[in-house]
Amino acid sequence: MSSTATQTGSFPSPYEVPTPEGCEGWEEMYPYYALFDERRRESDEKRFWFWNSMHFPTPHPAFDVICIDSPYQAVGSWQNRVFAVPPAMGIDYRVVNGYIYISGNPVTDPEKIAERAGYFQRRAGYYYENWSELYGKWKTKMEALIAELNALVVPGLPEYEPDEVAFSEDRNTAFYEVLDAYGRVLRLGDLMWQHHFEFLLLGYGAYATFAELCKNNLPDIPDQHIAQMVAGIDVLLFRPDAELRRLARLALDTGVDGAFVQGRTPAEIEAELSQTDAGRAWLAELEKVKDPWFNMATGDGLTHYYRSWLDDPSIPYASIVGHVAALRAGEQVVRPTEEIERERDRLAQEYGALLADEVRGPWQDLLALSRTVFPYVEEHKFYCDYWFLTRWWNKVREFGALLAGHGFLEDGEDIFHLSRHEVSTALDELVLTWATGGLPLGPKHWPPIVARRKELLERLSEWTPPPALGVEPEEVTDPMTIMLWGVTTERVREWARQQDGGSELSGAAASPGTIEGLARVVRTVSEIADVRDGEILVCGSTSPAWAPIFTKIKGTVTDVGGVMSHAAIVCREYGLPAVVGTGRATAQIRTGQMIRVDGSAGVVTLLE
Amino acid sequence: MIHTQRLDELRGADDARYGGKSASLGELLRAGIPVPPGFGLSATAFEEFLTESGLAHRVAAALRGLGPGDVEGLARASHVIAEAMRSAPVPGAVRAEVAEQYALLGPGDDSPAVAVRSSALGEDSAEATFAGQQDTYLWVQGADDICSAVRDCWASLYNTEAITYRARLGGGAAAHPAMGVTVQVMVDAAVSGVMFTCNPVTGDPSMVAVNASWGLGLAVVGGEVTPDDYLVSKVTGEIVREHIHDKEIQYVPAPGRRGTVQVPVDAGRRTAPCLGSQQLAALVELSRRVERHFGSHQDVEWAIDHTGELYVLQSRPVTALPKREAKTAPTSAMALVMQKFGAG
Repeated sequence: MSSTATQTGSFPSPYEVPTPEGCEGWEEMYPYYALFDERRRESDEKRFWFWNSMHFPTPHPAFDVICIDSPYQAVGSWQNRVFAVPPAMGIDYRVVNGYIYISGNPVTDPEKIAERAGYFQRRAGYYYENWSELYGKWKTKMEALIAELNALVVPGLPEYEPDEVAFSEDRNTAFYEVLDAYGRVLRLGDLMWQHHFEFLLLGYGAYATFAELCKNNLPDIPDQHIAQMVAGIDVLLFRPDAELRRLARLALDTGVDGAFVQGRTPAEIEAELSQTDAGRAWLAELEKVKDPWFNMATGDGLTHYYRSWLDDPSIPYASIVGHVAALRAGEQVVRPTEEIERERDRLAQEYGALLADEVRGPWQDLLALSRTVFPYVEEHKFYCDYWFLTRWWNKVREFGALLAGHGFLEDGEDIFHLSRHEVSTALDELVLTWATGGLPLGPKHWPPIVARRKELLERLSEWTPPPALGVEPEEVTDPMTIMLWGVTTERVREWARQQDGGSELSGAAASPGTIEGLARVVRTVSEIADVRDGEILVCGSTSPAWAPIFTKIKGTVTDVGGVMSHAAIVCREYGLPAVVGTGRATAQIRTGQMIRVDGSAGVVTLLE
Repeated sequence: MIHTQRLDELRGADDARYGGKSASLGELLRAGIPVPPGFGLSATAFEEFLTESGLAHRVAAALRGLGPGDVEGLARASHVIAEAMRSAPVPGAVRAEVAEQYALLGPGDDSPAVAVRSSALGEDSAEATFAGQQDTYLWVQGADDICSAVRDCWASLYNTEAITYRARLGGGAAAHPAMGVTVQVMVDAAVSGVMFTCNPVTGDPSMVAVNASWGLGLAVVGGEVTPDDYLVSKVTGEIVREHIHDKEIQYVPAPGRRGTVQVPVDAGRRTAPCLGSQQLAALVELSRRVERHFGSHQDVEWAIDHTGELYVLQSRPVTALPKREAKTAPTSAMALVMQKFGAG
């Protein structure tokens, strides 16, 4: 790399990314402000943008743009307007060929930074001091929000309003109720995102500070040891899988395990179970577990594609089938929490003893603080990203069904191809024509738009987005970019270097060990079932719902994520080598290709 | 015994007379660390040698009037002194003690091979390192040969570098040096090397840095091979980094087991790792014990013999650790968090 590389555009200009063939006009799916617009070129072209494949791994559907807008509205509010993190405002996003690129807004004026520091110290200090109490309240708040979402009724449009509307005082007509419910659904989503980011920044910050103190004093400490010292033992996120393991054990203990045959559908398994008392007892136990533990999403992505285990029981059932087989083979399927806890305490003690006396005190305090904040860092995912969000998408689906029922859409699921504002417009016309009895134009207007967008998304999914666009930064300083996405200065250098291809990918050494094997590239959760025993998983990122896959694979490579990412945590638990945050593994590796994963060095080698 | 002491009878405080090497081996033995048996010669043996042979005067005469800038004069003096020393007999009392100690070393083997090394005194250690007084004679057999090797060690106090160094220190070239000598049973090493009880490059105290190569340690210490290079976590035993190099040569005992000879390494073993995970684990365990015993970071020379036994050959404090940026010690956890967010 030449010495001037830092200032030249070492990534493609966002304005020069070609549109894939047949995808002309894709821009119309997205809001005007989400595009690389000529009117903003001078500023946008000079910035560093990276593909947020962790949250947006696939071309983004029009409705789901709300799950870009709301989170970035929320994270910016907390980071920039509430806590006033001194050097960083919020995060901007842009869409390129349907994929989401993001870039942080730095604060550079020293006076402004000093001014913000005052706000930050007071406000963040308050949160850290009262963390457990505030987090307790937060959980109550989230549970209430989820309850409200569940209770929200999406009204129908009857031929005649019921008698109450005519005879009682406190009543509204359906046109108002439909519009009100839709507005409320959107607002509940905003509220969830607001809650989602209330603690996240501070939680990651405490952890990152601890990690940095470790690195300064123990320069060679493997990242996973830092994570191991902090990570929770009794984390909520492990509960769903723990429940599946318990159910598998129960099936064996009560002699109904014969029903769990690989390849059977959940309906087939349940049909067999329902024929015996023991089977029915098992099903009753399953029902008890479902709420809340089956509110797991099938992926981390912020799109409607990710359903919950409740929506798609084939995932938890596949997992139970696997656990039953493992138990029959005499394997231990219970997570060895005591062992994990012992090791975590041993590491903390040994590393603590190695530190200089003057560092040890603050180090221990930071470790304690990191452990205090960490449950939130892990658990907010369950409350927000899985439990709330999967149910929220389903609420949107109810509006889809309403529109489809009146011919505005061919299928309820098509609602996700209209923006939330277009849905609002469609609902306006629907309730208008329902009220007037007039002829709606919607059934002629919306289906062709949906059809074209479906085609666009399909074509765009064939395109591989570059990991970054614009100017390579001299240094990545934005704390969120580093903490949440693992996008560090070194990572960006690596991306720039790998632009010319090569047979090696590097990322974070997330779980030690070296393994060779055949790659299985999994781009979306629907492809999980294709994974065969002994393959190496290559994916954008993973989420807890991918749990069943880790008993099959030999190693993991991801595009995005740091050593605290889900894939890293699980691979360490299962003793599988993992390299995370390679930037382009899914783009560069083909299914069936022989690769070597060196999880100790953070290197993936393509062997053919 | 006046001039000699068994290594396991020596303690740290004996370095004033027996030199740092012998004293630290005594400490290691006391801590139960596997060190080949041996004995140390006190600086009094050297003094006796100088006095009895009348060498003291000749040495003083040879060095008189020489300044640090007189390169030729110093070289000539060094040569004269070395010649004189090598032709002077080791005093009978010293010779008798060496023979007696040597006899105790090899039950079952009447003439075990030993290593004879200089053991610089207390504060002279740094100087000794600097001036290259690391004289080591390997695979020495019999009391006579040991005495010759001891005399060579003594003579090394007057090599050109050493006398120039002393002249430069201001005490004048004639300043009176002193030295102990360590005699230790040889380890017939299959693999040997050095290890630091921290990462000498980054200063990380949670790591053990190991260099290893085939055969005797000479090849590694003398920088004649690029050794295999391992970085191992003390806390978990994980190999954090591992570089296996092409180790072209090794040192083995010469035919007749007197002296050493350099031979090429078989093609098949050159690029093979010379340590397995169990051996690394044993080394890490050993390094932790050595570090704990001395309470400071150590540079440890070790060897594994053909039966797989691991020995420490010497240990000395790590003196030159990288100076980390003089960061002020963190005042509190919260201050660090604030700093992280740019609000410190």
